[in-house]
Amino acid sequence: MGLHFLGRRLLNALVALWGLGSLVFLLGRYDQAGGPEQQLLPDGTEADASTESRDPAALADARQAVRHRLGLDQPLFYLSQRVPAAADGARWRWNGTANQYHRWLARLLRGELGHSLRTGQPVAGQLGAALRCTLPLTGAALALALGAALWLGQGLAGPRCWWQGPVRALLLALQSAPPFVLALGLLLLLANPRALNWFPGYGLATEDGLTGWAWFGELAWHLALPVVSLVLAALPDLALQLEAALRHELGTDYATAARAKGLGEARLIRRHALPNALLPTLTQAAGLVPALLAGALVVEVVYALPGMGRLLASAAALRDYPVVLGGVLLTGAARLGALLLADVLYHRADPRIRWAR
Amino acid sequence: MGQVAHRGRRRAALAWLLLVAAAGLAAPCLPLPFAPAEPDLLAVGVSPAQGAGAGHWLGTDPLGRDVLAGLLFGARTLVLLTVPAALLTALLGALLGSLAGYGQRLAAPAPTWLLGAGLGWWGLALPRPALGLAAGAGAVAWGLGQRLWRRSPPVWALSLDALIQGAGALLGTVPRLVLVAAVATGGTLSLAGLGLLLALTNWPGPARLVRAETLRVRALPFVEAVRALGLPAARILGRHVLPLALRPLRADLPLRLAAFVGLESTLSFLGLGLPPDTASWGRLLDAARLDPAAWWTAAPPMLALLLTTGALLALSKK
Repeated sequence: MGLHFLGRRLLNALVALWGLGSLVFLLGRYDQAGGPEQQLLPDGTEADASTESRDPAALADARQAVRHRLGLDQPLFYLSQRVPAAADGARWRWNGTANQYHRWLARLLRGELGHSLRTGQPVAGQLGAALRCTLPLTGAALALALGAALWLGQGLAGPRCWWQGPVRALLLALQSAPPFVLALGLLLLLANPRALNWFPGYGLATEDGLTGWAWFGELAWHLALPVVSLVLAALPDLALQLEAALRHELGTDYATAARAKGLGEARLIRRHALPNALLPTLTQAAGLVPALLAGALVVEVVYALPGMGRLLASAAALRDYPVVLGGVLLTGAARLGALLLADVLYHRADPRIRWAR
Repeated sequence: MGQVAHRGRRRAALAWLLLVAAAGLAAPCLPLPFAPAEPDLLAVGVSPAQGAGAGHWLGTDPLGRDVLAGLLFGARTLVLLTVPAALLTALLGALLGSLAGYGQRLAAPAPTWLLGAGLGWWGLALPRPALGLAAGAGAVAWGLGQRLWRRSPPVWALSLDALIQGAGALLGTVPRLVLVAAVATGGTLSLAGLGLLLALTNWPGPARLVRAETLRVRALPFVEAVRALGLPAARILGRHVLPLALRPLRADLPLRLAAFVGLESTLSFLGLGLPPDTASWGRLLDAARLDPAAWWTAAPPMLALLLTTGALLALSKK
């Protein structure tokens, strides 16, 4: 039963990914004012351009050559508009398979993401290098946020205590701060030569010759502020949601029965209420996997880390479409994979859930 | 006692939001000594204490732009962008969500579909327009023939629910920020364009709420009674189901506004979306990174942003 269901979900996910990629591909290239080839060529206004590139005919030739090399001289899609209508009144032309979209899709199916328009390097390599920086960051942040949320949620739902009020107020305040404000605030407060200069403000550990624990310590020191920013951005929703779910479970009949049996409150929460309250948190955590990639966008920009988010943002700003598309597909795949995983974990957490056919 | 504190908090939130909206709408009429986007090169990065004499009441940022003018015109950008975008999102969500939830199916006999497709082909002047006309004529002949032989043609139906939910799931596969950043390449979008982009990428949230509520209301006895009266489906949906099904949107609107405020300032902070000379709190914060000592550039927009989102979140709570 499970395999059947998983197969269908996987198929749906692949269709969704294809639709998304096509959407971004077509929307992104629809307005080619200027066109990506402009970035590869000196524009005629530059003063230091050599004589032959200032010659308009040579420039047009060079532009045509670049367009041909990038495949931009082909039509965008299977159908294209015919500007003067044809003899039989048709205003659309059928281009067959010689179009940019078909070529992109065919290469994608063969596993080629293409080359960056800006640097000429393969997109897959660039994404891999960026992921090597992003994954430690987001992985640590996700683990820490989940751990802290589990601990805080249990504490907040437990017996009354003096620290519950202030912590709840703090979480509510954090909830209203966009991630980039948190990151910028921490940066200006704790990595500022004019305020507290405790942490490095940018980059990763770059000193060579460090090995073992020294290297790890340097990395942790550099990643501390970015990770804390991400955790603070993700924590309030998780902790408050878990607290509400736990409170609901603690008011049910089985909790009363367990209390009547003489069970302590802490044990009641951990052994009985928590497994039942975890389902919404699982959904949230599954939604967090790609959201952390997006939140990492802002954090990486603020702390100047060479990660996924910054790669995507700079590629989007400079219209480097192959990189943008690769990033969107990767994020979408992460999202769909996380949703699938959440479905499987649902079943583990609550065996009563049956997968609908 | 909790009730009183709660009401006080709501009032304070409402007052702050009204202040932001009034400041934003009145910004062009206020007697400000400096325009928001024009650098004053004689006073670059001056603190409020030094700049007050020259008319820079809150100082200038490291590029010489007046912080007070940036704050007020940033509020204007925020109000003019997020409020219409949130309303449009709610409208789109209500429309699509109620259609999906009411379970209407676009059902028509097969020849009608064929006729529509053929006429569409001809009208859009797709390659060989005559082909469309031929298909339309064929469809008419098919329908007439079926009627002549007194047989009913097959009915093809399109489930709106599946269609709308599928489109929503498609948009949900990528985080909003990444999707908007991928489409809004460069500082090239107008205010209306960015608002439209926000609405088109965010409608699945309200649509899901309205769909769930429509499913609930549809099963209530009074709807059954109205249906028994023989009213057409469009009238039942519009006059009887929708007024109830729209209720969750009231709590959703402040949340949506808060999300859009965060998204707008994030995009401006990253330098995406709106043109670079548009005043925005995110741009002020971006400029604050240039000079770590200029606390007066970072603190006011940060505070304003926190208060605005906080007020919107407080309003959404019952």
